[in-house]
Amino acid sequence: MAEKAILYDSSKCTACRACQVACKNWNELEAVETTNWGSYENPRDLSPKTWLKMEFREIGDNGTLRWLFSRRACMHCSEAACVKVCPTGALYHRPDGFVAIEKNKCTNCGYCVEFCPFDIPRLDVNRASGLGERVTKCTACTTPGLNRIDNDAIPACVKTCPTGALSYGNRDTLVAAAEARVQELGGNARLYGKNEVGGTHVLYVLEDSPTSYGLPEDPTVPAAATAHDILKPLGYAVAGVVALGLLLNVMVARARIISREEEK
Amino acid sequence: MQQEVERFRKRARVQHWWIVVCALILGLTGLFLFVSGFAGAAEGGGSRLVHRIAAICFVAGPVLYFFTNPRSSWEWIKEAFTWTKDDIGWFQAAPIYYFGGPEDVMPPQGRSNTGQKMWMVVVIVTGVIFVMSGFFMWFLKGTISAETYQVMLLLHDIAFIGGGTMLLVHIALAVFHPRMTEALRSMWGGKSSAHYAKTHHGKWYDRISAGEST
Repeated sequence: MAEKAILYDSSKCTACRACQVACKNWNELEAVETTNWGSYENPRDLSPKTWLKMEFREIGDNGTLRWLFSRRACMHCSEAACVKVCPTGALYHRPDGFVAIEKNKCTNCGYCVEFCPFDIPRLDVNRASGLGERVTKCTACTTPGLNRIDNDAIPACVKTCPTGALSYGNRDTLVAAAEARVQELGGNARLYGKNEVGGTHVLYVLEDSPTSYGLPEDPTVPAAATAHDILKPLGYAVAGVVALGLLLNVMVARARIISREEEK
Repeated sequence: MQQEVERFRKRARVQHWWIVVCALILGLTGLFLFVSGFAGAAEGGGSRLVHRIAAICFVAGPVLYFFTNPRSSWEWIKEAFTWTKDDIGWFQAAPIYYFGGPEDVMPPQGRSNTGQKMWMVVVIVTGVIFVMSGFFMWFLKGTISAETYQVMLLLHDIAFIGGGTMLLVHIALAVFHPRMTEALRSMWGGKSSAHYAKTHHGKWYDRISAGEST
């Protein structure tokens, strides 16, 4: 199956936030009460009720002010830290590359929240008991019952985008289109997500450095997540060898002590 | 009737088995997240709630014991970290001794032998790591940085592998090893035969025979 992707072209985006609303609409997510804090950007953060939000940044250099927009939602990484650390496989890769959620497997542990290099997944749990809402994040419209992708529809955010800033298709095609667009834009423009964390399935055409958009320059799977890949088999090996050794020890000791007693 | 000596006071035994029950519940519910085959048992987070209740009990037991028995608690900790040349002798003799070789290769041991002291050190060290990292992950999640959380999770895992493996050793020796016949009996009923104490914990036996309390 060909890998799919969503392409976000910041140079075409007017930050109308139709995608943000369409996401809520399609995924049946309640509105969040907001307050005026001096920016169009609202709500202030992603939450179990907000899987996609537009971010507004004002950057001043040399007397000119640039107003940068970016789309904040799951990047659907190929080397996804969340998938790596999820103890139950509730977060998994679909063959098309999107990171989907099998909700009934989720235990609310929140490892994904702490390991995601983009700080995307959200949980709403009781501090004391750890019980509550299971993990939420953009699933690229693959949530069971609300699955657009497998019903030959494109993601809700892409469908609604009025300026063509969002597009959906084969990842290869979109990478080529994005590279052409970067050429066309020139200057500081660049493609983000082609190779980052193994290649993401949400690609960005940026007009400036990733950090100006609040994106990590070089996102990586945290070393502690990779350490788990070593620790788990190591744990089995250590426990296995020790258990076998103990079994042998007890058997040998028993046999020798019995034979010595018989000699007496 | 065979002569017996008191090895563990009742409150020490209650403490021991309290920790056993807590540790087994903690280990089992922890294993659900560690072994992918058991993952189903953790769905919904119910096992985490059990893990947390057991964690409170796991901490409360020793804390309560410490404040009600400060002297013997300190002595126990001191014993765990007091190592002499007889402990080196234990390591040299252990392979022969524990594989059923002659008994006289083993230098005289204290109330706890070197192996038992090693286990006490593991219990103290992994206990501190478990409680500290668990506290961070439970109560300070979201307050501490993601990096700190990741390190705490890693520490919890490392303590689990180290402590869990040593627990296997502890159980195998105490329950199944033909030479440690009195270990389980004395932790259950408090008494061990005087002959066993003399031959396995000579230094301690000499002390209590001389009338010292511990």
